[in-house]
Amino acid sequence: MKLTLEVYRQASPDAAGHFESHQVDGLDPTMSILDALDTLNDQLVRDGKEAVAFESDCREGICGVCGLTVNSRPHGPTPNMTACHQRLMSFHDGDTVRLEPLRSAAFPVQRDLIVARDHLDDVVQSGAWVSIDAGTAPDADTVLTTAEVSERALTFAACIGCGACVAACPNGSAQLFVGAKLAHLATLPISQPEARKRARTMVAVADANFGPCSLHGECAKVCPQSIPLAAVAAVPKERIRALRTDAHSANG
Amino acid sequence: MTSAPTLRPPRCGPVPAPSREMGLWVWKVAMALTGGVWALFVLIHLFGNLKVYLGAHAYDGYAHWLREVGYPLVPHQSVLWALRVVLLVCLVVHITAALVLRSKSRRARGAVKAAAAPTVSRWMTVTGILIAVFIVVHVLDLTVGAGVASDHFTQGSAYANLVASLSRPWMGIFYTLIMVLVAAHLWHGVVLAFNDLGTTSKRWRAVAKVIAGCVAVAIVLGNAVIPVAILVGLIR
Repeated sequence: MKLTLEVYRQASPDAAGHFESHQVDGLDPTMSILDALDTLNDQLVRDGKEAVAFESDCREGICGVCGLTVNSRPHGPTPNMTACHQRLMSFHDGDTVRLEPLRSAAFPVQRDLIVARDHLDDVVQSGAWVSIDAGTAPDADTVLTTAEVSERALTFAACIGCGACVAACPNGSAQLFVGAKLAHLATLPISQPEARKRARTMVAVADANFGPCSLHGECAKVCPQSIPLAAVAAVPKERIRALRTDAHSANG
Repeated sequence: MTSAPTLRPPRCGPVPAPSREMGLWVWKVAMALTGGVWALFVLIHLFGNLKVYLGAHAYDGYAHWLREVGYPLVPHQSVLWALRVVLLVCLVVHITAALVLRSKSRRARGAVKAAAAPTVSRWMTVTGILIAVFIVVHVLDLTVGAGVASDHFTQGSAYANLVASLSRPWMGIFYTLIMVLVAAHLWHGVVLAFNDLGTTSKRWRAVAKVIAGCVAVAIVLGNAVIPVAILVGLIR
């Protein structure tokens, strides 16, 4: 299989970017998009050129670092799948495939296909944690949770923070991401008592760096963990609830 | 051959404090509430419009009642004016919030636009602007009787004014077109309002979609058909 890869190149955060076209031979339809980039890089290094910088870690769809834009779609043409799982069989032999970094003002390009997703970390760091000492595992188990509740929490906790939702959004909104965190933590008994304080800080930090949600629904189409679109409504829900302070929180 | 790695080191320490400006969620809630008020108004207005099918007497009687409702408990026209003030305030808040959120969206998105589907949600600004233009035209045409109003406009003859205005083909087509746009605006707007007020449950999100669909269909069937009925001579 042969593809023409149009790859975005940018030397540093402040440099101007441009596209570079490379023919890559010897590809297999079962290879992933990242495998195609590996093959291209082998070729570039052989020719004495600079390899394309891109992020990857687990290559099994659970770490969330491999976000990139393939033919204007975050992660690639197959819905709800990380770039490392997207197969070349989505393309025809001889196709031209355009590879760009995730696009959003909140994700400045660092180099080639690598962006800084610090603003997502900021949201997590501002409140997506629990300050209540839950003790050891047997202690935590004394607080009973129904299977239904834990399943609901897990649906939202599945978010891997890849940032594809932001890159897919015409508004540059991170509301699927923020909503997934808020909904997950507001559902479970140990994190519930701080839900209001958490909603106030996380929504404030998100609002400062990302756009508002218009319910275009593009985020849920690309989310590799298939976080339901209802997560975006968790942001106003938890924030409106947070107009009152937490019952059990001394500082919030 | 190789340049020095220029990756930014990870940032450590506390998250920068967010600015004190009003959160986007406040604007969104304001839009949902003010849009909701207007959606209710459109439905009540639609109910009143249906009297056009009962003839001039029923229609003019309704228009007269709107001016007199509440009398003698409150002065003439006071309920009408209270509604007008509430609607105007809601409109100003709704449009201001829309402009603020739009500018925030554009800034957050950055230079490279998203390749997103051309859904109704992406046309809210365009339909919104056209509806705002329509509100001005509509008030001049059938309330004030100035500018775009028909030459036969007479204060108090609501039915005759309506028929005279919409008998003009360009005005009739404009009204019909705008009503289809109002239906499209509310089709997404109602679902969005439920969403922005925090409706996460599967059942209520489905209810929002059904309500939005019914509202859109009602506006097309009830309102958009009136100018057509006048143009083809069913209402005269």
